[in-house]
Amino acid sequence: MFHRPEGHDHVKMKNVAAILVLAALASRFGLLRAQGPAAESRTAWDGVYTEDQAKRGELIYHKECAACHGDMLAGRESAPPLTGGAFLANWNGLTMGDLFDRIRKTMPQSAPGRLTRQQDADILAFMLSVNKFPAGKTELYRQSEMLREIRFEATKPASKK
Amino acid sequence: MRKKKLKRLDILLFLFFVGLRCWPASVCAQIHPQDTEWPSYAADLAGTRYRPLDQINAANFSDLEIAWRIKTDNFGDRPEYKLEGTPLMVNGVLYATAGSRRAVIALDPATGELLWIHGEREGKRGGSAPRQLSGRGLAYWSDGKEERILYVTPGFRLICVDAKTGVRVPSFGDNGEVDLKVNDDQDIFPDLITGEIGMQSAPVVAKDTVIIGAAFREGMTPKSMRNNKGYVRGFDVRTGKRLWIFHTIPKKGEFGYDSWEKGSAEYTGNTGVWTQITVDEQLGLVYLPVESPTSDFYGGHRPGNNLFGETLVCVDLKTGERKWHFQLVHHPLWDMDISSAPILADITVDGKPVKAVAQPSKQGFLYVFDRLTGKPIWPIPERPVEVGNVPGEWYSATQPIPTKPAAYSRNGVSIDDLIDFTPALRDRAMEIASKYHLGPVFTPPTVSKLGGPLGTLTMGTASGGTNWPGGSYDPETHNVYVYACNSCIEPIGLVPAPKEISDLNYVAGTAGKEVQVLHGPGENAGADSPKPPTKRTGGGYVALNLDGLPLVKPPYGTITAINLDKGEFVWQIAHGETPDVVRNNEALKGLNIPRTGQETYNIGTLVTKTLIIAGEGHVTTTADHPRGAMLRAYDKATGKEVGAVYMPAPQTGSPMTYMVHGKQYIVVAVSGGPYSGEYIAYTLPSTGE
Repeated sequence: MFHRPEGHDHVKMKNVAAILVLAALASRFGLLRAQGPAAESRTAWDGVYTEDQAKRGELIYHKECAACHGDMLAGRESAPPLTGGAFLANWNGLTMGDLFDRIRKTMPQSAPGRLTRQQDADILAFMLSVNKFPAGKTELYRQSEMLREIRFEATKPASKK
Repeated sequence: MRKKKLKRLDILLFLFFVGLRCWPASVCAQIHPQDTEWPSYAADLAGTRYRPLDQINAANFSDLEIAWRIKTDNFGDRPEYKLEGTPLMVNGVLYATAGSRRAVIALDPATGELLWIHGEREGKRGGSAPRQLSGRGLAYWSDGKEERILYVTPGFRLICVDAKTGVRVPSFGDNGEVDLKVNDDQDIFPDLITGEIGMQSAPVVAKDTVIIGAAFREGMTPKSMRNNKGYVRGFDVRTGKRLWIFHTIPKKGEFGYDSWEKGSAEYTGNTGVWTQITVDEQLGLVYLPVESPTSDFYGGHRPGNNLFGETLVCVDLKTGERKWHFQLVHHPLWDMDISSAPILADITVDGKPVKAVAQPSKQGFLYVFDRLTGKPIWPIPERPVEVGNVPGEWYSATQPIPTKPAAYSRNGVSIDDLIDFTPALRDRAMEIASKYHLGPVFTPPTVSKLGGPLGTLTMGTASGGTNWPGGSYDPETHNVYVYACNSCIEPIGLVPAPKEISDLNYVAGTAGKEVQVLHGPGENAGADSPKPPTKRTGGGYVALNLDGLPLVKPPYGTITAINLDKGEFVWQIAHGETPDVVRNNEALKGLNIPRTGQETYNIGTLVTKTLIIAGEGHVTTTADHPRGAMLRAYDKATGKEVGAVYMPAPQTGSPMTYMVHGKQYIVVAVSGGPYSGEYIAYTLPSTGE
């Protein structure tokens, strides 16, 4: 993250620490607000995937997921629903990164991690579309740490109406 | 069992009186009353989930603290998010199955300290298993000297270990194991490694006999009308030798074979007992709740009533011979597996003592029989039901419908059931429902058509009513307490099965959606290079909810107390906090909506001296608690909530209770969503003395 020239670690780290403290103070006092809306946290309601991506995800879903989770994502005894109240409740208030990592770590059950990050992101985009989250202009990320910046909110925030 | 049971009853009565004499708890602790055990999956072989403990009660339930907790992540090569186990507590040790490898763990019941662990690496055989993960539990046996733990691995092997060490018992079977895929009166196909058969429930041990059922994959889109059969077997707990077998699909010449026309008994499979088995040791009778035959929703390849599909069968504990049976659903088409343990109850009906068996169900009926004869306690007449028109299907023109007790959860869908919080929501629900065929219980599936109907909209079928956690029974009040999903809607549509997918004429599906079958591990291997998906034929997604709101009116999930002497409800409550999507819904602002309960089907209940205890199945965030779920306690006489304690994730395994060193504990399995499996033990705060 930080470029660290050899031999100057100690001094450099001190500087970095100072900058971080300043940055933290600045942000607390609103001095960095100039960054605008982009700095505000996004939610799943902000058009975080594209329709094309959801269509790709749909094909992968039906091949890889539907056998257990059902062709309407309604779940079964052996797999939880991916739509509706129980699904929304499970993830409400968490981040897209949490949901994405859960897919990556444990799915498909017969061979977890077999799909690529891109395929997992596409499936997630499809799940968002079925759950009526709006599509947007940019595709859903495939990096967990970036997805962690998008909050999963079960109900549409009032300001987005 | 009677003798043993009486003994236990004596102990319990002793405990009860000691409990009365030594209140408060701090005094009890000095007396060191004997432990109260939880020696089998449902507390006892009668399936009651009852322990007459009262240290944890209405006055202090909300004070409960976590005594210990254990994550199951490392009992397998990956975490699991569906921990369904109920531990046992016997002779001062707590035993449970745990983790994605279904390990057995032994813990100190007061501290949670790990005493030993036993795991079996099954390789491809475990990886191909139809029912993976940690399962529901295990069985304990002792002859007073030796103590053994028995469980079934995902790969369908019965393992017997020494309860003190976790080491296999060499004298049992082949060095501590019995391969359940052999000696089963059938050749498991295609081979012993990948052959589809397994079991996730806990084995039962009664009078030195271990009883083992069988489970398969979900049966809505099978590849074939042919499958392995789910026979039930009894084994000698000392040697592992097979003692008997009961053919849940009769062999030629056996009773019931004729109920499979055109020789369909030969190739039809499934029809196992995947849930808990109940035993009356004194009568020497075993009660088998049998599931659906091959293909949950299409029975065109198995004309006839299909005994013993969806039948409660009573067999002899010593021989496995059938004593009586009652088929709850003729020619099953709705996935109304008998999904939970039959409950044994000694009741008094019209002044006469009756040894009864009560069977909760997905369809919300509590079927009650004389458990010696199989005769219904209250009439269960055959009633005419709708006959469908799916090509090739065979229909039973009647189905048995109990006159008493009344259905304790919804088992059909009518316009009157649809959400009515606001006219707008109702209109949207009507629009969705208009795409489906509606009707009461036993309304048959339809072929799914793009122009409608997309299928039959059902409740009380695959995932409704009561599922595997079953009910509880209180021998003091003669009440059954049973959780039910009252809003678990199941659309059942059928689509022609492409020949490359299945040899059935029809499998479950929705017009326009591809038919998929479960891929086994190894199929489509070669990571990152999946085959290009095949063509799609269109058709939209009909979400059977309205922005997360259930399509039907509350209550979404209930607990009902049913008195078995009278066959009548004592009380019924909505179980579970109103979901966030209801409480925070803009469209519902200003409406006064009483607690709705939650749409979930896997909630088990525990009954104690005074309380009914059950956790929630959904995560909520409220003013009272952060993101999490609550373990709730109700007054068992009235259903009034008397306390609640926070859990970090929903209850996914049914709670149990025990007493050690003078302290009562409640252990519950939680998991789901982002939260991996964990057993949590609650107890009362120490008194500081």
